[in-house]
Amino acid sequence: MSIMKKTQIISAGLIVGLLISGGGLMNAQYPSGDEVMDRMDRNMSSKNRVLTSKMVIHGARSSRTIESKTWAEGDQKSYSEYLSPAREAGTKMLKLEDALWIYSPSTDRTIQISGHMLRQSVMGSDLSYEDMMDDASYADNYKAEITGEETLRETKCWILQLEATTEDVTYQVRKIWMDEEKYIPLKEELYAKSGKLLKKTELYDFKRVQGRWFPGRMVFKDMLKNGKGTEFIIDEIAFDTDIPEHIFTKASLR
Amino acid sequence: MIRFLLKGLLRDRQRSLLPIIVVAAGVSLTVLMVCYLAGVLGDFIDFSAKFSTGHVKIMTHAYAENSDQVPTDLALTDVNSLLDEVQADYPDMDWVLRIQFGGLLDVPDENGETRSQGTVMGISIDMLTPGSKEPERLTLEQILVHGEIPDSPGEILISDDLANNLEVAPGDTVTLMSSTMYGSMAFYNFIIAGTVRFGTVVMDKGAIIADISDVQTALDMYDASSEILGYLPDGYWDAEQAEIIKMGFNSKFSDPEDEFSPVMSLLNEEGLLAGYLEMIDSMSFIMVFVFVLAMSIVLWNTGLIGGLRRYGEVGIRLAIGEEKGHIYRSMIWESLLIGIVGSAFGTIVGLLFSYWLQEVGIDISSMTQGATMMMPGSFHAKIIPSAYYIGFIPGLIASSAGTMLSGIGIYKRQTAVLFKELET
Amino acid sequence: MKAFKLAFRNLIGAGLRTWLNVGILAFILILMIFQYGIYDGWNRQAVTDMIAWEIGGGQIWQENYDPYDPFTLEDSHATIPASMQGEIEKGNLAPVLVTQATIYPDGRMQSILLKGINPDQQVSDIPTAILSGDYTEIPAVIGNIMAKNAKLKEGDLVTVRWRDVDGTFDATEALIVGVFKADVPAVTARQMWIPIERLREMTQMSGQATLLITDQEYIWYGSEEGWVMRDHDFLLKEMSEMIRMKKIGGSFIYVILLLLAMLAVFDTQVLSIFRRQKEIGTYMAMGMTRSQVVRLFTVEGAMHSILAVIVGTVPGIPLLMWINSKGIGMPGDYEEFGMAIAERIYPAYSAGLILSVMLIIIITTTIVSFLPSRKISKMNPVEAIKGKLQ
Repeated sequence: MSIMKKTQIISAGLIVGLLISGGGLMNAQYPSGDEVMDRMDRNMSSKNRVLTSKMVIHGARSSRTIESKTWAEGDQKSYSEYLSPAREAGTKMLKLEDALWIYSPSTDRTIQISGHMLRQSVMGSDLSYEDMMDDASYADNYKAEITGEETLRETKCWILQLEATTEDVTYQVRKIWMDEEKYIPLKEELYAKSGKLLKKTELYDFKRVQGRWFPGRMVFKDMLKNGKGTEFIIDEIAFDTDIPEHIFTKASLR
Repeated sequence: MIRFLLKGLLRDRQRSLLPIIVVAAGVSLTVLMVCYLAGVLGDFIDFSAKFSTGHVKIMTHAYAENSDQVPTDLALTDVNSLLDEVQADYPDMDWVLRIQFGGLLDVPDENGETRSQGTVMGISIDMLTPGSKEPERLTLEQILVHGEIPDSPGEILISDDLANNLEVAPGDTVTLMSSTMYGSMAFYNFIIAGTVRFGTVVMDKGAIIADISDVQTALDMYDASSEILGYLPDGYWDAEQAEIIKMGFNSKFSDPEDEFSPVMSLLNEEGLLAGYLEMIDSMSFIMVFVFVLAMSIVLWNTGLIGGLRRYGEVGIRLAIGEEKGHIYRSMIWESLLIGIVGSAFGTIVGLLFSYWLQEVGIDISSMTQGATMMMPGSFHAKIIPSAYYIGFIPGLIASSAGTMLSGIGIYKRQTAVLFKELET
Repeated sequence: MKAFKLAFRNLIGAGLRTWLNVGILAFILILMIFQYGIYDGWNRQAVTDMIAWEIGGGQIWQENYDPYDPFTLEDSHATIPASMQGEIEKGNLAPVLVTQATIYPDGRMQSILLKGINPDQQVSDIPTAILSGDYTEIPAVIGNIMAKNAKLKEGDLVTVRWRDVDGTFDATEALIVGVFKADVPAVTARQMWIPIERLREMTQMSGQATLLITDQEYIWYGSEEGWVMRDHDFLLKEMSEMIRMKKIGGSFIYVILLLLAMLAVFDTQVLSIFRRQKEIGTYMAMGMTRSQVVRLFTVEGAMHSILAVIVGTVPGIPLLMWINSKGIGMPGDYEEFGMAIAERIYPAYSAGLILSVMLIIIITTTIVSFLPSRKISKMNPVEAIKGKLQ
């Protein structure tokens, strides 16, 4: 569940973040990071998005699939509701800037996760709440530079390296493999300050939605930990719809 | 000859009663010492068995590997049938389900939103089934500070300090946010039935006790449990008995290839306790050894003095022509008889007294600020197998040795000197 | 006084029997002191170990620090006040910086504490000296419990992930340069000790600390805004309470030991009164009142214990001192045991302990000597002098 949220937010964050990022250094061989980011921006930019998705969690014993619907606006507002399985259905999550609320229908309670709790791991899992809320405002926090070219899954990609420019980012370095033609990211790697690879995201099955390329499936993997990773499948996505403003208020949780 | 000696012993109270009383007193003290030491030193083991390890513990292989992280996702499944099977196989033992879990305890305001919250560690026990020994095992009655012990589903006990920090009291509703054994978020409302004092800072900071069926529901662990604890029939740890049970269980149920198959481990294999048990053994060995040594010297002395004071009698017996060797042997037989009777009597008295101390105990709760789970407020003896025979070492062997030594004087002394002693 | 002299002469005159009893009493006296000492020493070991490894003479905490609440760690570090710098250089204070981290031994995840400490500190017994040296990886020493739980040993590399002061993730390899064994879980469980300067760089907390351990010989009288002194009373509270409980529980053992000693005296006393009826009759015939004779016998009995004290010191003092210096080895392997308990136990004897044990023995011996002597007061002197049994 936590991972689900994370993927939703990361996916949103990644996309939105990439759209507005910029300020890379020039490199004679390659286009500027700016330019690439800008192209990606044009591919994916939208005011808001509504998506229905499935997450497949590979547990120690079995794999489970959780379905949810998410409304997101910018990178600061997001609201999700779980649709299935029955145990999770009706659970809602609201994220506004630095605060996170979770509503559980079975207990009819809204629980706020804040402060120190955000940095704690979620129920002993590898993800902190903060991880889940990783809004990765790339433009504000990273400078982009293309450091090379590589063929990934028979697609020619730029390797885009994002270096943190501010201090309070979770990951110091991000590397993105960007399709040179479609300007869509195929893979992202997250690195620690020391340069150690921490996490990897791979994006597949790009579809054209409202004139934008959008991944149909993503696989997240914590590189330090054993395990199969987590799969995230986007069934439906719509951009620039009319999301009523009350969706992003606590009133919508109940 | 023994009958003759017996008669003599019975008729001469000075010769029989007093030595027997002394030997019996010494032996019963020894037995008491052994049992009390075992009880006091075993308190910690007992506590740990009751609180977390059981005498034997069944987990999955995978859970056992990572047990310090209480990974509920690696819990045992189909526990009810497993429980039925172990209950059938070992009907004298008490088998219980336990789940340890972690989570966030959240207190609502009037709108159902977070007013205060704290991270908690929880243990779940069977508090509600009539006849469950678990509430007594965790001494819930004694550690209760406010409120009551849960008697209906959905009720929990929380540590008193935590209740103060969260500003909640018995009767309030709180929500536990945790994760199910499949990794989903779990929410469950509990009513605080009472607050307790555990006696360790860590647990008093934030521990809760919930009923097992509530926790199974809350964590989506229907027919699952992270642990099954087993308690030996008489409630006391017995390494040999436990080892046999473990072998039997593991050969029947455990499959090392399947990380989710159950495996049984013993109390003395639990990381923290393994060394302690051995140390208790050696510690009590030293103390008992020293005590038995001292008691032996006392009773040896009794035998010795008993022999010395009969020099006059020996003199007469020598005078009327009894052989030295015969006198010596008869004295030793006498002391053996005294030793056997005294030791047997003393062992019975010592065991009776130990049994009383085992069942009732010494209550010292008036000397402490209330009982806690860690410090139960009373001390108990524990009757251990060696208590049945250890008293005979000082009681029989030592007192007879004393007589033997003093009897040597018979050979040394001249008849004339003995007569002279007789006259004075 | 006359009674004393007479009692003493009688005792010495009785020869072997007296010395046997005195020997026993002396032996029990030594035993009691020894056993009390070992029990006490066993209990005190925990405190001694905590002082040696963990708390020193006390700790100075950053005011937000709460060792039981890892949440506080993010806010419980601060720049060490200038006034403490000198003491750190003198070796009176050892700063420790604590931060949460995650390690990944064999791809499993474990959350631990990273504790930074000066490699050349002398305040704690933790073998930090091996941390100094030129390492590419983070050099770390870990305690036996940590080594066992994470299945790590000397020379192993393990991935550590932590966050710096701003929350940015960082991860690298740590090299286990040493595993130490201590009986204090607070320094051996779920934590890695690394050089403090390294941790400060890693977390960008230059010049900061979470707490400072004071040297056992040093008392910090200073006061600094934002720092709180935690003395032994505070840090050992839980342990002291537990020891107090154990002592109460253990005192019953001394009652049994005492009964043992009394048994010996009582036994002797009953026998000697029985055997010495003629003597008693003679005393009375010579004009001693019954109560004087009772007193004489009581003093005789009690004098056993005084002689025992004197005799006991001869082998007792060197013996106890020898045991104390050697300690008593505890067989077995306690590597995983979580409580502060050592492999060797050093009995703890205090002058108070020894004196009170002596006093108790003398008092109880007197009482026990008196009880059978009361029989004398009922004796008929004529019958007694004839040696007739009464």
